[in-house]
Amino acid sequence: MSYAYLFKYIIIGDTGVGKSCLLLQFTDKRFQPVHDLTIGVEFGARMITIDNKPIKLQIWDTAGQESFRSITRSYYRGAAGALLVYDITRRETFNHLASWLEDARQHANANMTIMLIGNKCDLAHRRAVSTEEGEQFAKEHGLIFMEASAKTAQNVEEAFIKTAATIYKKIQDGVFDVSNESYGIKVGYGGIPGPSGGRDGASSQAGGCCS
Amino acid sequence: MDAATELKSFVGGSLTLASKLLLVAITLYDLAVKSFVGGVEMKRMDLVSGYKGVVGLVFGNENSTSSEDSYVERLLDRISNGVLADDRRSAMTELQAVVAESKAGQLAFGAMGFPVIMGVLKEERDDVEMVRGALETLVSALTPLDHVKGPKNEIQPALMNTDLLSRESESISLLLSLLSEDDFYVRYYTLQILTALLTNSPNRLQEAILTIPRGITRLMDMLMDREVIRNEALLLLTYLTREAEEIQKIVVFEGAFEKIFSIIIEEGGSEGGVVVQDCLELLNNLLRSNASNQILLRETMGFDSLISILKLRGSAYSFTQQKTINLLSVLETFNLLIMGGSEADPGRDANKLTNMTVLIQKKVLDHLLTLGVESQWAPVAVRCAALRCIGDLIASHPKNLDAISSKVLGEEPQVEPALNSILRIILRTSSVQEFIAADHIFKSFCEKNSDGQTMLASTLIPQPLSMNHAPLEEDVNMSFGSMLLRGLTLGESDGDLEACCRAASVLSHILKDNMHCKERVVRIELEAPMPSLGVAEPLLHRMVRYLALASSMKNKDGKSGTAGYVQLVILKLLVTWLADCPTAVHCFLDSRPHLTYLLELVSNTSVTVCTRGLAAVLLGECVLYNKSSDSGKDAFTVVDSLSQKIGLTSYFLKFDEMQKSFLFASVKPTQSHKPLTRSTAASMAEIEDVDENDLSDQKNEDHPILSSMLDAHFVSLIKRLEADIRENIVEVYSRPKSEVAVVPAELEQKSGEGDKEYIKRLKAFVEKQCSEIQKLIGRNATLAEDLAKTGGSGSIQAEHRTSGASERVQAETLRRDLQEASQRLEMLKAENTKIESESSMYQNLAAKMESDLKSLSDAYNTLEQANFHLEKEVKALKSGGSSVCPDVEAIKAEAREEAQKESEVELNDLLVCLGQEQSKVERLSARLLELGEDVDKLLEGVGDDMGLPEDDEEEED
Ligand SMILES: Nc1nc2c(ncn2[C@@H]2O[C@H](COP(=O)(O)OP(=O)(O)OP(=O)(O)O)[C@@H](O)[C@H]2O)c(=O)[nH]1
Ligand SMILES: [Mg+2]
Repeated sequence: MSYAYLFKYIIIGDTGVGKSCLLLQFTDKRFQPVHDLTIGVEFGARMITIDNKPIKLQIWDTAGQESFRSITRSYYRGAAGALLVYDITRRETFNHLASWLEDARQHANANMTIMLIGNKCDLAHRRAVSTEEGEQFAKEHGLIFMEASAKTAQNVEEAFIKTAATIYKKIQDGVFDVSNESYGIKVGYGGIPGPSGGRDGASSQAGGCCS
Repeated sequence: MDAATELKSFVGGSLTLASKLLLVAITLYDLAVKSFVGGVEMKRMDLVSGYKGVVGLVFGNENSTSSEDSYVERLLDRISNGVLADDRRSAMTELQAVVAESKAGQLAFGAMGFPVIMGVLKEERDDVEMVRGALETLVSALTPLDHVKGPKNEIQPALMNTDLLSRESESISLLLSLLSEDDFYVRYYTLQILTALLTNSPNRLQEAILTIPRGITRLMDMLMDREVIRNEALLLLTYLTREAEEIQKIVVFEGAFEKIFSIIIEEGGSEGGVVVQDCLELLNNLLRSNASNQILLRETMGFDSLISILKLRGSAYSFTQQKTINLLSVLETFNLLIMGGSEADPGRDANKLTNMTVLIQKKVLDHLLTLGVESQWAPVAVRCAALRCIGDLIASHPKNLDAISSKVLGEEPQVEPALNSILRIILRTSSVQEFIAADHIFKSFCEKNSDGQTMLASTLIPQPLSMNHAPLEEDVNMSFGSMLLRGLTLGESDGDLEACCRAASVLSHILKDNMHCKERVVRIELEAPMPSLGVAEPLLHRMVRYLALASSMKNKDGKSGTAGYVQLVILKLLVTWLADCPTAVHCFLDSRPHLTYLLELVSNTSVTVCTRGLAAVLLGECVLYNKSSDSGKDAFTVVDSLSQKIGLTSYFLKFDEMQKSFLFASVKPTQSHKPLTRSTAASMAEIEDVDENDLSDQKNEDHPILSSMLDAHFVSLIKRLEADIRENIVEVYSRPKSEVAVVPAELEQKSGEGDKEYIKRLKAFVEKQCSEIQKLIGRNATLAEDLAKTGGSGSIQAEHRTSGASERVQAETLRRDLQEASQRLEMLKAENTKIESESSMYQNLAAKMESDLKSLSDAYNTLEQANFHLEKEVKALKSGGSSVCPDVEAIKAEAREEAQKESEVELNDLLVCLGQEQSKVERLSARLLELGEDVDKLLEGVGDDMGLPEDDEEEED
């Protein structure tokens, strides 16, 4: 269970865009075809490897429904990364991005890394938001961007890992005071990469994508 | 002071009070309603007098003004209007003192003080001394004054004040913001205030804190603060996290686990003080019914830190009460992990399994065995909790079952399997609790584990008698089976069947649902207790003998009550054994007296209902699983003797009586653990070694062994058996066995058969038939007799016997329907009473509100009158001295205007409040409508004469 760093993530975005599915795909490699409305927040964890260092991701999947906003806001400040998700087949979920960002800027720490995800890209025939629009929005607001599918697993690993790599890079660049845990980053005990047991080890094959 | 200022301050002051009065009044209703709902009828007089005190103050009612009211008012005035900083500070100090001193002071403060104090906290952050003073005053206002002896149900102003303060979520966020202040006392008092609010109105506080951004973060930061603050914050967080899933998750998100464990380590682990206990209570709150937090703990920190608390270090032999509580708390944590989360959570089962797997991987079993089995000097409460935990940890988990069966304890060469050590505890402990806890391990071990059962049963090999008399200490070298057999037979010589009964309980787990084991153990034969007494006998026969022995030992036994459960445990063993097992039934009936004894036991009125019931079940099994064709042992014989000796009606009655007995009725599907809190912990830790009857949540008449024995599994087995037995017995009747095959072909003369032989054969045939007819007549007579005894009153049991199988089924269905219907009726009745009490509560509430509106409008009238008088006075003054003093004139005009303005504002306030009351009434009315009440009728009573709710209620009935 040793790790070099622990990063806390939150996943935010409108209800039904596929936040819980993205998490499930990432942690369990499964897809859940029915919409189980998330109540409050749900937790998931996985180990990944970046730059040969084991990194533990603690991920809080929040409820997209408006009524849970006050609860989910409590999770912003302590998070190092956020996946902001919209559904490429539902334009309104894209239109709401600005309000999500505003919320994040208001409650999160300024150095939070935000990854914009256009989910459900397997449903190309029902696309309502073009890739270019997503790219454009991300560029305007300084976000990383990817289109993904929780169903086919396309880009799911990549999205989580790219976010981590960005955070890792920021640490290397000295952006964070890593001893201050309120940034959602914790320094672990075991920086040594080794055969860590259990399912954590099994799923840490990816990574190394950062410079 | 001139007249005008006096006027101004009078009018202004009283109007502010009026609005406060309203708040207090509302609070009083809430309190009254709360106490009403709680079934504690609060003395209305106290409410009224408290209320009047404030009313008196406002309206100058001569005889009920308390001196505190005016004193507090003056102090508040000095604080809010004073100019000199020193004077304001000393006013604050005085205020704090008067509030800390008396209930009247607290009451007066509650009525007027909050806005002033909150104002100080908001506006004067820089004046640390004022802020401290204000907070200290709040602490005093919220701290119940117990030392003042008053009437029992007198209202506690402190509680009212807490309620009042917690209503304003704005005040709560103001308080939370004070936690970031540098001054130690400011943070300390603030935490105390929050804790007081939380103790009194937990839900309101929990809701409020959730809506305040970073509210929980601030509280969590306090865990890293100075020790005093940290300890206070710990307590606060335990209250805050009770049954509040979302808060629990946020607290964990904020790193609670790391902080908790680092404090525990800092404080010395299980050797630490009450702070460790608080940490563990918080930890348990975070994990109880919260699978998500359990996963987080497992996946990020792991269970190592938790497990290391179990390790006994240093002074392993000494157990203070605090250490005992700490260990009990951490054992509860394991329990919570093993339960896996809340019942409703779909992810619970998966989480539970993973937790169990990981815990065993982390060698928890070793530590639990050390604590529960090897530390005989540890307090019995700790040992029991550890044993129970072991049982839960292995239940239905194949890997963990293997783990325990392969565990050995002790040091070479004195090693033995852990299961043997646990069996030894069962056989030898003087604590009933410990027996139950250890027995639970075997129950869990054998559950759905036929390999494990077979393994244990395979060692059941009788030893030569000499071994049985070997000193007890030598059993270290014994096999599990030898130990168990010795336990089963040990007590006979000294007339104490306690050990036998405990061993019987273990044996029944081994046999449960396992045909192979049942048949194997049937074959076990024991040497006669004294060689002179003859031949070897089957173990099963020995058990029946002890069953009989137990009842005969009843009176000479010093410990009354033992005989009862010894018999029950042995009966449970036999019932379990014979279920589905013709071989065992055959063995049982092999000895003719067994049947006779059982028949006697079923109708023996000096034994308990349960004993009779289980004996009846055993008898039923002798019919149900009887494959024997020997006359004298077959099902027909059993049924015949049953109907002759007992009568079918009264036989079946035994089942019903047992089912109705509260032991059965009170069986719960799962044991529910009570959370260990500061208040319950001490009593848990004090369970002593001699504790025959003090499991706090058990009824006195209910022996703890019985409730553990009659678990849900066994009860459902009994219910299943009962249904089968009823059916089977009727079947035996409806298809009487024919000793004679009535095949026409057989009646023909066979070819080659001589006439003589043919006649002989026919004669024999007729004889047989004759005897069978005789038997049937006999049986018929018994049935008729039985029927006659029941008086043909159409009783359900009578139906069973007289009607055919199909009718019986019908009757059974009807009976069930009837049962269901009456259950539904009960439910509806209960619901009805609930609704009735709710409606009468709402009636009271409505009446009170009505009367309050009245007094408020009276108050307003008085106010207007006062205003009118003042106006008149002003006019008089105007006409009297306008020429002399134009300034006074102007001031008066101004005062009047201001007074009017203020009264307008207050009027608005009142109107808003009235509006709120109105909407409350509307909501209540709607609710009443929902509940099916005639709202108009209700309000009719309330409207004109405030009604007499009690009377209304009686009319409704
Ligand atoms: N085709 C397709 N469907 C998806 C994808 N991701 C999610 N879905 C579906 O979208 C629905 C909603 O997914 P969830 O993950 O439960 O949505 P959510 O964002 O967690 O919603 P809230 O919990 O209410 O905030 C489900 O029916 C999913 O099966 C995807 O990549 N492709
Ligand atoms: Mg979801």
